[in-house]
Amino acid sequence: MSTFNFGQAIRGGVSAAAITSLLMSSPVLGAPPVDLSKWSPEYVRSIAGTKDFDTAADCNKVTPLDYKGRLTFWYQGVFEGDPDLLRQYYKDFFAAFRKTYPNIDLQEQALTYNDLLDKFRTALLGNAGPMMVRLQILGGVEFASKGYLQELKPEDVGYATEDFWPGAMKSNMWKGKTYGIPTNNETMAFIWNADIFKRAGLDPDKPPATWDDVVKYSKQIHDKLGIAGYGLVARKNAGNTPYRFLPQLWGYGGSVFDETTQSPTYGRIEINSRASKQALQASYDMYVRDKSVPVSALTNQQADNQPLFLAGQLGMMISHPSDYDVMLDLKKKASGTDVQKAQTVIDNMRYGPIPTGPDGKRAVVFGGSNMHILKPEYVDGGKVDLPAAKALACFWASPEWSLKMAYAGSNPGNLNGFKTKWMKERLDNIKFLDVTTSMLPYGVPFPTIPETPEIMNIVVPDMLQNALTGAMTVDQATEDAAKKIKNIMSGGKL
Amino acid sequence: MTMATGLVDAPLKAKAKRFGFLRQAWDHRFDYLYVLPAIVVMLIVIAYPIYYTVELSFFTTPPSLQLRDKEFVGIDNYGLILSSDVFWRVTANTFIWTLASTAFAFTLGLGSALALNHEFLGRGVLRAILIIPWVISAVAASYIWKWIYHSDFGLIGAVLVGLGLAERPPNLIDSVGTVLPSLIVVNVWREFPFAMIMLTAGLQTVPDQLLRAAKVDGAGAWQRFWHVTFPHLQGVSTVTILLLAVSNFNSFIIPWIMTGGGPSNASHIWITHIYELAFGRQRWGIASAYSVLLFLTLMTLGYFYVRALSSAENKERVA
Repeated sequence: MSTFNFGQAIRGGVSAAAITSLLMSSPVLGAPPVDLSKWSPEYVRSIAGTKDFDTAADCNKVTPLDYKGRLTFWYQGVFEGDPDLLRQYYKDFFAAFRKTYPNIDLQEQALTYNDLLDKFRTALLGNAGPMMVRLQILGGVEFASKGYLQELKPEDVGYATEDFWPGAMKSNMWKGKTYGIPTNNETMAFIWNADIFKRAGLDPDKPPATWDDVVKYSKQIHDKLGIAGYGLVARKNAGNTPYRFLPQLWGYGGSVFDETTQSPTYGRIEINSRASKQALQASYDMYVRDKSVPVSALTNQQADNQPLFLAGQLGMMISHPSDYDVMLDLKKKASGTDVQKAQTVIDNMRYGPIPTGPDGKRAVVFGGSNMHILKPEYVDGGKVDLPAAKALACFWASPEWSLKMAYAGSNPGNLNGFKTKWMKERLDNIKFLDVTTSMLPYGVPFPTIPETPEIMNIVVPDMLQNALTGAMTVDQATEDAAKKIKNIMSGGKL
Repeated sequence: MTMATGLVDAPLKAKAKRFGFLRQAWDHRFDYLYVLPAIVVMLIVIAYPIYYTVELSFFTTPPSLQLRDKEFVGIDNYGLILSSDVFWRVTANTFIWTLASTAFAFTLGLGSALALNHEFLGRGVLRAILIIPWVISAVAASYIWKWIYHSDFGLIGAVLVGLGLAERPPNLIDSVGTVLPSLIVVNVWREFPFAMIMLTAGLQTVPDQLLRAAKVDGAGAWQRFWHVTFPHLQGVSTVTILLLAVSNFNSFIIPWIMTGGGPSNASHIWITHIYELAFGRQRWGIASAYSVLLFLTLMTLGYFYVRALSSAENKERVA
């Protein structure tokens, strides 16, 4: 277990408080079911298992359980980087829904994170979308702004807006209207191998406090042991890249626009600011100067870092709490002496908060997914079965299932999920969960503008690749990215 | 008299010809009926998308708006493409990719076909083995090659380091300088069996008597190949090269899966760049204009392909 005092970490730091207030600012201010101002691992433990919920009874009020209908549904499902435990929960969810609503013909289709947006966009162009979709957090605004989505707020499926993280609700808002319901929300944490730290002459129980330390530790690990220090990820068209680079960018005080401020307007481009350049310089130093990160970072995703970490070839990485379970799953596939090696890595796996920037600023991407209902004209067949869609939204966003579907890798979108008995069970079963839930108040949502997917999935990785391959200097790469973002925001040149 | 007759005959002949054409069409009415479904399907799935792509290339989609809100911009999209540095870089990549892949796949295919044209023990097995790269899924092959090339735990790196030939695994697909050649190797590996099959078929048309006669006349192996075999392969070689070139211009799977066009656009070719512009960045107008350029290039190659086919057919008829 990590020896870091997370409660203290959360209470300290003016910048963290600012980010917390940013996350908690919401156009609809009500009383949330949990006290977000007290958020800490201790508080999360204290509320777990304090309330019971009856999902079927709650959803019956939204759509009667004997309702007969048909629903087509696409969702970002489990993929190669997820643990087997999560796969089982997805199976259980659909079985439970079918049992609860036996007369709804649910036709679901799972797609990977990187494929979903492309397929969904293409289908919509041909008016062949599903009736309902569960998208990654950065996708909803894009489709709402284009008029594809119906208005949908938690109250439509029996919940209150205050039942969800304000930052998550913000990701569903477009021009003052709500277009989706959060299913899960997460922030990642910093993972390190204590054994590697020890062998490299570092304190095994002390993670790097700042991003500058990450650069330093990564070099030390590489120089002493000849293995990769930090698991940099810079692949294009992969969600993993912005999720890992933006905490670094924000930590150094940089940003893409002004998304880290209390009331972002997204009118000012900051990716070429001095602080943003410092953040990119840190990646450059690790990849080019020190050669202390995987060479394959430009084509890697986090799923490629996981086996490297398990093989003891990688000292540090950013990921979900679920990576612990992923390591256990991967260990099952090992044979011979590799089993013992893998066990050693698992025993030495530690979780800590994301490092801060030089000024003590700590930030992490506020991630997650939302459910949306489409307008009939964009749906295959031209009809949307609204009661069936609401039934599924109610079911997934319920305290029970929003918790279970996020069991290993995320957190319930519905704050009431933290009060369930399954949360209590989860806190006991899922190692390091308290670390990632502790990071939630430091979460910064992606800019809630339609252009975000293009900026995060293409422009940001391009910037990284341009600098890391030497195609451009750090200055040129950030200026080039700023120019591209300006073009995108002003009309979309090539 | 003759003139008068000629003047009178001309309209009659034209009329007769017209009626002859109609009669011929009428006589073949069932043939037209049989091909009608295919023509309808082609019009729907090929002609309409081509028309729509050309139309879209003159429009732009404003940010935050749907495709139906497109705005007419004339040839601006073409101007934007042609004035973009990325386009020229990607174009250079595309031509290097296509020419190198085609040349090496053809040469390797020709060598294999010639080698397998001789009778020897295990020829059938070897031929079957060599066809494997062509028959396995391109997606699976791309993932396997990605692992083989992997810059940290790839097979090539492990072997080189294990044999003491390198201190670190070579950086093959994460480097701007080596990524395209590395992908071309994969593409050639996958395509050369196609050239081999085509040329093996072509080799069957080389008359044995000619080769034997040349041998009796004292011609060496190279002379027999150059003066007897190769002229007989010209038709099939042209067709093979054109088919390979068209396929390489359109080759999406290998570069997309292995590198996604990266790093730093170093392995983007037209087709992957078009995909990224359309589906990743939703620049439908620009992507359509880009597609039109690709279409025109492929049509040019298609023209030469048809010409090569016709010429081969004519030669056969003459023979």
